[in-house]
Amino acid sequence: MDLRTPSGILFTLYGLILCGYGLIVPGATAPLAEFNANLVSGGMFLIVGVVMLWMAKRAA
Amino acid sequence: MTLHFIDYLILALYFLFVIGIGYYLKRQVTTSSDFLTSSRSVPLWITSLAFVATNLGAVELVGMCASGAKYGVMTFHFYWVGAVPAMLFVGVFMMPFYYGSKARSVPEYLKLRFDEKCRAYNAFTFAVMTIFSSGISMYALGLLFQLVFGWSFWVSVGLSATIVLVYTFTGGLTSAIYNEVLQFFLIVLGFAPLAFFAVHRAGGWDGMMARVQSKEFGDAIVHSWKYAGSPESNPMGVEAFGILMGLGFVLSFGYWCTNYLVVQRAMAADSMAAARLTPITGAFPKMILPLIVIVPGIAALALTNDPNIAYSLPVKGDAYDYDQAITTLMAQFYPTGMLGIGLTALMASFMSGMAGNVTAFNTVWTYDIYQSYIRKDAPDSHYLMVGRMTTIVGVLLSIGAAYVATLYNNIMDLLQLVFGFVNGPLFATFLLGMFWKRATGHGAFTGLVSGTGAAALTLGLTIAEGKGGWIAQIHEFPSAMAQSFWVAIFGWTTCFVVTILVSLATRPRPEAELKGLVHSLTEKPPQEDVPWYMRPAPLSIVACIACVLLNIIFW
Repeated sequence: MDLRTPSGILFTLYGLILCGYGLIVPGATAPLAEFNANLVSGGMFLIVGVVMLWMAKRAA
Repeated sequence: MTLHFIDYLILALYFLFVIGIGYYLKRQVTTSSDFLTSSRSVPLWITSLAFVATNLGAVELVGMCASGAKYGVMTFHFYWVGAVPAMLFVGVFMMPFYYGSKARSVPEYLKLRFDEKCRAYNAFTFAVMTIFSSGISMYALGLLFQLVFGWSFWVSVGLSATIVLVYTFTGGLTSAIYNEVLQFFLIVLGFAPLAFFAVHRAGGWDGMMARVQSKEFGDAIVHSWKYAGSPESNPMGVEAFGILMGLGFVLSFGYWCTNYLVVQRAMAADSMAAARLTPITGAFPKMILPLIVIVPGIAALALTNDPNIAYSLPVKGDAYDYDQAITTLMAQFYPTGMLGIGLTALMASFMSGMAGNVTAFNTVWTYDIYQSYIRKDAPDSHYLMVGRMTTIVGVLLSIGAAYVATLYNNIMDLLQLVFGFVNGPLFATFLLGMFWKRATGHGAFTGLVSGTGAAALTLGLTIAEGKGGWIAQIHEFPSAMAQSFWVAIFGWTTCFVVTILVSLATRPRPEAELKGLVHSLTEKPPQEDVPWYMRPAPLSIVACIACVLLNIIFW
């Protein structure tokens, strides 16, 4: 099993959920947050997830 | 903290994936060695990340953030002094004997190198300690989730234990290792934003450092070595010698080089080269981890008591409750959504620690205790069945240990002391066993027992922060941490000296029996035709230089 595939799928899903939620409910912030934490972190998850999937596909 | 649907959805997806990985790997398990040792088949990048992840349990994660808030930059010592050098050492010098001998576990190596009683001593103490560590971290998780998310103690314990049981029962060690890597990514991705947000809020890196400098310990909290000259002048209350010898040598080498929990990950690698490189490549992520697990703690301290920022470390009695640093930061910086990620990352760290304990316990129980002393010559399918059953028993025993911990709060402190007595001397035994062919089984065994005794005696005769000194109080240490380092140093030294003396007085084993087990009697592994950066020695020199540079930068 190439672990990059399941990890990539999970992180892409997380990225989509977080970015989606961050866009729909931008007001969902925490007391001290200076950013739209969901959108920022969701973007990070999305990039990591897609890169993992791309690497797994290239290796296969 | 209130959790919403989306947070639970994130957690549920994670559960689905870890169980899915276990289920997918199920068909690869047909023999006891597939189940218990992965039949030496796991690729390098997986084993190295698992090597790091299995140590990154929830207790470690919460504890490192707490130490960051309490001791500041000195906490980095736990990684750069207390882990990296030992990881490089085990890869370059010790793995050839673990992987090269026919041993399936660390206790079995002791049996091959020394004798049956050394194996029995190591296997039994290891099995007991593994169950208790797993129980203690379960207890800590239960308390944490109760406090932070309002979950019932036994719901979080039961749920997390069940998931770990399901994926280790189906896929064995391979499943535990693959999931540890997934969990490692999750911990890093889940907590990196927290570190970033918190440091940013504290005024960036320099702003954060300036803030903590204005507090109780002044300049000492932003330096790792500058104030290590005397224990009174730094927040940890330890001097440089204690850090280097106690933490950097005895405790760290004892853990990373002899503890089967981590060594098992390297022994699952698919070749000798990969086994040796496992801890060495693992040292690189290990070096950077403090940025994610310790720095948020420093940021928590920086944000505390600023009138413009409504955050403060929670107070317990007349001191800060540092253990709550990481979760209170999550509450302040993570909205619904990311909160689910933070919760999942905490759960993931707990599971990677627990699965490590369970799989190591399985192998030691099945091969070193059951097959050695209970039933010797059964067909392999029998041991596979025993391995699977042991998984269930191991999880149940851990839950039992967690239950004991709920009854006696002090038992955790006591157990950690006892673990220290047993672990302190261990590295002396392995060092002499691997590099001195004259060391004998009687020598090793007497060394181990007297080293453990010496460690207990040191604690009985000294006192620090009200701990120890139940025999007499002939010395007082400035901190409990200094005391634990010195207890380890005395245990190690005693074991080292006694092993040598008794070995010289007893009959050595014939050299022919020690081939592949002792350095001077083992052929060097053939130099494979790979570029320099894929060879253990040059790569660890690079890691060494990087680690020294980090120490200098944070001097």
